[in-house]
Amino acid sequence: MSQMETNITQNGAPVRIGFIPLIDCAPFVIAQEKGFFLKEGVNVELSKEASWASIRDKVAFNILDGAHMLASMPIAASLGIGSIKAAMQTSFTVSHNGNGITIGNALYEELKHYAASSLDIRTGVALKKMLNSRSADAAPLRFAVVYPYSSHNYQLRDWLCRAGVDSDKDVQIVVVPPVKMLNSLRQGDIDGYCVGEPWNSLAVEQGVGHMLVTGYEIWGSTPEKVFGVNSAWAEQNQEVHLSIIRALEKACLWVDEPSNQTELLSILSHPDYLNCTLEQLVYGFSAIKPKGQFDWPMEAYQRFSGSVINKPLPSYALWIMAQMYRWQQLGGIRSLNKVAEQVYRQDLYNKALGLPEEGESRDWYLSAEEEATWLDAVAAGKIRLHPDGILTGFDKSVK
Amino acid sequence: MPSPLEKELTVMLVDNEPARAAIVEQAMIDSGYRVIRRLENAKNLTEAVTEFQPDMVIIDIESPDRDMLENMSRLTKDNPRPIVMFAEEDDSRHVEAAIRAGVSAYVVDGVNSGSVKALLQVAIARFREFQALRLELESVKSQLEDRKLIDKAKGLIMKHQKCDEPAAYQALRKLAMDRSQRMTDVARNIISVMELMGGSK
Repeated sequence: MSQMETNITQNGAPVRIGFIPLIDCAPFVIAQEKGFFLKEGVNVELSKEASWASIRDKVAFNILDGAHMLASMPIAASLGIGSIKAAMQTSFTVSHNGNGITIGNALYEELKHYAASSLDIRTGVALKKMLNSRSADAAPLRFAVVYPYSSHNYQLRDWLCRAGVDSDKDVQIVVVPPVKMLNSLRQGDIDGYCVGEPWNSLAVEQGVGHMLVTGYEIWGSTPEKVFGVNSAWAEQNQEVHLSIIRALEKACLWVDEPSNQTELLSILSHPDYLNCTLEQLVYGFSAIKPKGQFDWPMEAYQRFSGSVINKPLPSYALWIMAQMYRWQQLGGIRSLNKVAEQVYRQDLYNKALGLPEEGESRDWYLSAEEEATWLDAVAAGKIRLHPDGILTGFDKSVK
Repeated sequence: MPSPLEKELTVMLVDNEPARAAIVEQAMIDSGYRVIRRLENAKNLTEAVTEFQPDMVIIDIESPDRDMLENMSRLTKDNPRPIVMFAEEDDSRHVEAAIRAGVSAYVVDGVNSGSVKALLQVAIARFREFQALRLELESVKSQLEDRKLIDKAKGLIMKHQKCDEPAAYQALRKLAMDRSQRMTDVARNIISVMELMGGSK
């Protein structure tokens, strides 16, 4: 590798990439630690950040060039939702899936009285019944998510909504940072949460709560984290940007390779990264789950590699914009296709990896008629994700 | 500085660094602002904001609890919103300066933007000052650590080679020069090798 080190680009100034210490920051950490960035001739400086808001602000104001981001973040920033309007984009999806919904023991025990079978608990049917029989002045149940503009928030609300629970009126949804979730649940500050692994498995293992359902079961396979960048930076540093995409693509393959797992966990657990024990990490990657008092398999299906995972899907941007609209974060927007195309850049992904261009046929494009009704149709539940996930598209025949 | 006739701006400070929080609070009081609450632990952050309804929340940018405030700002119009939302073209520089200094802020709608800027300046200045102090302290600390390592290595060499202190120092220095390493790195190597051989006992 040493002869490559001299090949470092752009007058020595490193590319600054932020990350949140979560399991799905693995591709960034591995690209750095296993020399994938260096082999592509890029000098990267990783910066551990404490909150999604901090990632957003620092990328918006060029203190970071890019970051490990929630898949919805470049969309929210580009539309100016919850922040200053700052053009951001992604050309690389880092991971699919990994979330789960867990409730505390107290709530679980209470739900048993309203459930004919465990299925009633998992689908939220028991929760709905319980809420119906509650007195109006009872303290509202509190569920936590990690960020208002996140798949966690949208998946939790979707799950509640399907059970007939109004996620604004019937329960309270608050934000708690991932690392504090388990303790908040243990102390009874919250009754349940939707968060990425390992925080669901750990709640089960430590006997604090019960994992009811995974994000994968709610939405099928969907993008979770992306490599998001400041669009102005991407414009001025295209070669560097493409090199980083290539490095991340290799890092993702490395992360998904089972024989690398021991090394992966040991690197991730380092104080510079997740700063935790190996035991805490193992559930994040493995299909082996702690034994709890439930009889259903609970794999979060977190995946990192392959073009089906890594290629940006503008159709997912369409879906996310509809979620923002559905939960009153976005008022309305005319050119859905255009925003999706500008924020989720398939062209740069193809260019970086030497793949053929998509050409003019964009199969994800909404027709003019669909575009006009899209937000309302998704918000009303008339259009859903295909049960297999976004790769199969949408189910537009929901009654 | 705000004129005394202006409505008093109320501020909530959230910082898990008690020393810094104290400095910032004092500076704000000196500048005529009212700090209604200082939180070191953000456990009840949302409750505190609801209860005290500050015009502005100043929070360490490295606090993971910022995301809680992001959610609050979405719930009702009365809650403070991230200052980046107020960064119009012409004054985005003070927001950028704040981010660089490690200050993040949340402001309620309708607060005089001049006061917000002035207050932000106070916070930025104190955060920077604190950062400089901390860097200085760290450098003094690491100098002390270095000194300790070198002393220990010297002691080991003296014992092992049965030489005096200047000679041990010379040997250490020569090793560092020959290998173009820092004295402390050489000292650390010597200590670990000696410990491995049981020489330090």
